[in-house]
Amino acid sequence: MTMHTHTFHVSGTHCASCKVLIEDTLKAEGSVRGASVDLRRETLEVEVVGEEAPEVLAALLTEKVKANGYRVSLERSVAHERDRVLWKAVPLGLGLLVLFFWLQKSGILDIGLGGPVTPPTAFVIGLIASVSSCLAVVGGLVLSLAAKLSRDTAGTTRTFVLFHTGRLIAFAVLGGVLGAIGGAIGVNPTLAGILGLVASTAMLLVGLDLVGVFERRTLTLPSGMFRRFRGVEHGAFAPLTLGFATFFLPCGFTQSMQLSALSSGSFASGSLLLSAFALGTLPMLILLSFGSASFARGTHAPLFFKTAGVVVIGLGLFALLTGLAGLGIIDPLVNL
Amino acid sequence: MYKIAAAIITSALIVSAVIVFHSRAQRDLAPVDTQPTENVEVRDGVQYIILTARGGYTPEMSTARGDLPTKLVVRTNGTYDCSASLVIGSIGYRKTLPQTGEEVVDLGTPRAHTTLKGTCSMGMYAFSVRFM
Repeated sequence: MTMHTHTFHVSGTHCASCKVLIEDTLKAEGSVRGASVDLRRETLEVEVVGEEAPEVLAALLTEKVKANGYRVSLERSVAHERDRVLWKAVPLGLGLLVLFFWLQKSGILDIGLGGPVTPPTAFVIGLIASVSSCLAVVGGLVLSLAAKLSRDTAGTTRTFVLFHTGRLIAFAVLGGVLGAIGGAIGVNPTLAGILGLVASTAMLLVGLDLVGVFERRTLTLPSGMFRRFRGVEHGAFAPLTLGFATFFLPCGFTQSMQLSALSSGSFASGSLLLSAFALGTLPMLILLSFGSASFARGTHAPLFFKTAGVVVIGLGLFALLTGLAGLGIIDPLVNL
Repeated sequence: MYKIAAAIITSALIVSAVIVFHSRAQRDLAPVDTQPTENVEVRDGVQYIILTARGGYTPEMSTARGDLPTKLVVRTNGTYDCSASLVIGSIGYRKTLPQTGEEVVDLGTPRAHTTLKGTCSMGMYAFSVRFM
């Protein structure tokens, strides 16, 4: 029996675990002696025993992995398929963006709450804040992180549990500190603005990557940035810190709550106020992070990543333009 | 076929977004009366411009007289959104306002034919005052 080595193109690979899945499935076949997937080049190299023509073999192999959404082919039909997905993702993403900004303009969210801020009202304000324009920064960051992580690495659950824990701890502890120390300190709005610019730039880059700009051209992001993302997945420190840092991101509601904590007079009351606020923002952020992760495992994963990319680019641009206006660097272009 | 449908939807969405944002820009550019707007009053030789901050600033556009000592009064009433976090870049003013109350900002004596622009700290709500 002679052994033949064939190289095929494989499409539908969207995550690191896909490589293992395809290789294991194919190796389980009697005639396949070796299988190796190159995720970057989207190629599959197989060693088979037998004299089948490559066309027949490609069809046979596709049959084995079809159920998981992969396709083995001789020709590189990948580019064509990407275009198809992108053509769906662009209108879908733009539609979601229009919906989001329409919600902001509608005035539904401009609910006034009279009286002093108590933990229950802080919770309600958190609920409102989580669908407000603050979502453009914090939510956009969560969405880009969720999509990017679930595409490039295997798991996200632990990462997001840590991220949200870090966020809650930051609001509880720093809220308490604000309450205890009072007017002596405060979150510097310029610092918040600069952090917002950093976050929106990161969102733009991740969004472009999700849409697939970096796969088409030879243009690549500095590898250090992606290693940082890997670090986010494996370490406990990075997601905790990132969650912690969201306390300082620019958001009018957060700033207003921080002011309430400042004047609340004690560690316990300040901590309680901001914890209640952070808990109010939690449902939406949980939905975003774990919703994305479950989409990312479904059959529409490629569409989800591209759509998320379009949404993240839109939110990133909005956050960048408004952030620059907030810092007084450019004239305000957007007025909701 | 598929691409055509997607292209139509995409362009329709972009056009509608442009219309939504542009209509506002047009209103801003419309010729304004050189008379002070209703939210401007002069008491004891000091001009007060009164704005309400909640879900944005109202009125978004005001006209006031130039070359007069002027103070900007920003009223908040249960304001928790970004408009409570006021920034006026040209005079280096930056403050988170109390949720309910009145903040008086001294603008000095603005020259005629200048425009004062303010935003909230995240930059998505803005207002302007023209001095005539």
